[in-house]
Amino acid sequence: MALDAFPPGLSPEDQIEPLACGRDAADVWDHAADGVPDEHERSCPHCAAAIADARGLDGIVHRMADEVPPPPPSLVDTVMEAVLNTVTAELRPQDLLALYSPAGPARLSRPAAARVLRHVVDRMDGMRARSCRIEQDGLALSVAITVTARFGVDLASVTARVRQMVVAAGKQALGTPVARVDITVVDLWEER
Amino acid sequence: MHAIRPTDDVAPRPAPQVRVPEPVVVPPERELDEVTLVVRAQEGDVRAFELLARRHQGVLFRVAVRVVGDPADAEDALQEALLDAWRRIAGFQGDSAFSTWMYRIVTNRCLDLLRRRRPVVPVDEIGEDRLVASGLAAPGSRGPEHAAEVDAGMAALRVALARLPDEQRVCWVLRELEGLGYTEIAQITGATGTAVRGRIHRARKELAEVMRSWR
Repeated sequence: MALDAFPPGLSPEDQIEPLACGRDAADVWDHAADGVPDEHERSCPHCAAAIADARGLDGIVHRMADEVPPPPPSLVDTVMEAVLNTVTAELRPQDLLALYSPAGPARLSRPAAARVLRHVVDRMDGMRARSCRIEQDGLALSVAITVTARFGVDLASVTARVRQMVVAAGKQALGTPVARVDITVVDLWEER
Repeated sequence: MHAIRPTDDVAPRPAPQVRVPEPVVVPPERELDEVTLVVRAQEGDVRAFELLARRHQGVLFRVAVRVVGDPADAEDALQEALLDAWRRIAGFQGDSAFSTWMYRIVTNRCLDLLRRRRPVVPVDEIGEDRLVASGLAAPGSRGPEHAAEVDAGMAALRVALARLPDEQRVCWVLRELEGLGYTEIAQITGATGTAVRGRIHRARKELAEVMRSWR
C-alpha cells in the first residue's frame, strides 16, 4: 500500500483564484459556512455570489453529514481472524520465552506473558498496566512495566505492591523467576 | 523509575508467600484509555488492538463509504486498512492523534481501491441507479411525498460527489462531512495545507454548480 497516495506538491488544480474583488474565495466560503461574513463580504456582489453558493449547499450537505451508515457487524471479527492468523504465522523464535519445564521445553509468546503480567496489575485497585516489556537471561525474566494510577493512591506503596505481584505472578502463573522489575508511573487518572 | 535489586538466586524455587489474590477491582479492558490500548497493541496485544478496531470502526466505515461510494467496497477497504494498522502500529509514533493516523490509513486504502476499480467502472457511469442499488441513495426514513425532491437532490449530490477527482472528494468528505480542520486533513492526506484548501474549494464550487438547479 502506498502511504503517500497524495502528491505533496501544489498543482494548479489545488490553487484558489481570488474573487474579482481580491478576496480569497475559500475564506469567503468558510466565513459564510460559519455564519460570520465580514462587512465587506456582506456588501460585495462578488462575495455575495460565493456566499449564495455556500448557503445553497449548506442544508443538503448537513443532511448528508447526518447520515451514519452502521458498519457490518462481522467486520472486526473478520479482521481479527486475519490478525490472529498473521500473529501465528509470523511468530519468531525471539518472540518466545522459555518457561521452567524440567520434563521438556515449554515456551510462551512474549505478548502472552506480558498480558499475564498486565492483568495482575489491572486487578489492583487504582492501577492499570500500560507497557510491559520482558527480557530473559537464562531462565530469569527482567520486566520493565509502565503503569497509570488513580489520583490519590499512595504511589510508593502501590509500586512496591506491583513489584511484589509481578514477581509472584512470574512464579505462579509463568513458573519462571522474575529477577528484576522496573516500574514507571507514566500517568495519573481520575475515577469517572 | 523504581527498580529492585536483582535477586541473587534465579533458579526455580517453591512458590513464595505472596499469593496473587482474587480480583478486587478489574477495570474492564473496554474502559482502558486509548494510549494504553495503543501501547499494548504496539507490544503485540491482539485483544488491545481488537478494542481499538471496535472503537474506531464506525467512524472509519462511514468515511470509507463516503469516499468510495459503495458499502461493500468500503468494507473491503476498511478490512485491508485495519490489517495495515495491525502491521504498522509498532511504527505509530504518536506525532498525531491515533484517529488521524487511522484516517490516513483508511483513506489511502480507499484511494488504492478506487484506482483498481476505475477501469472497470468509469466514474462518469456511476449514476443514481447504482447509488440507489448500493443503498447510498435510499430515501430517508421520513418518507412522505414532499421528501421526494429532497431525496432527488441528495441523489444528485451523491452523483456529483462520486464524479469529483478522488483527492478532492477525500478532502471534501473530511472537511464537510467529518468536520475536520484543514491542518488535520493535511496530516491525513500528506498534502500541504494550501493544497487541501484548494482541493476543498474546487470541490465545493463543483458541487455548488451541480446543485444550483435544486435550489
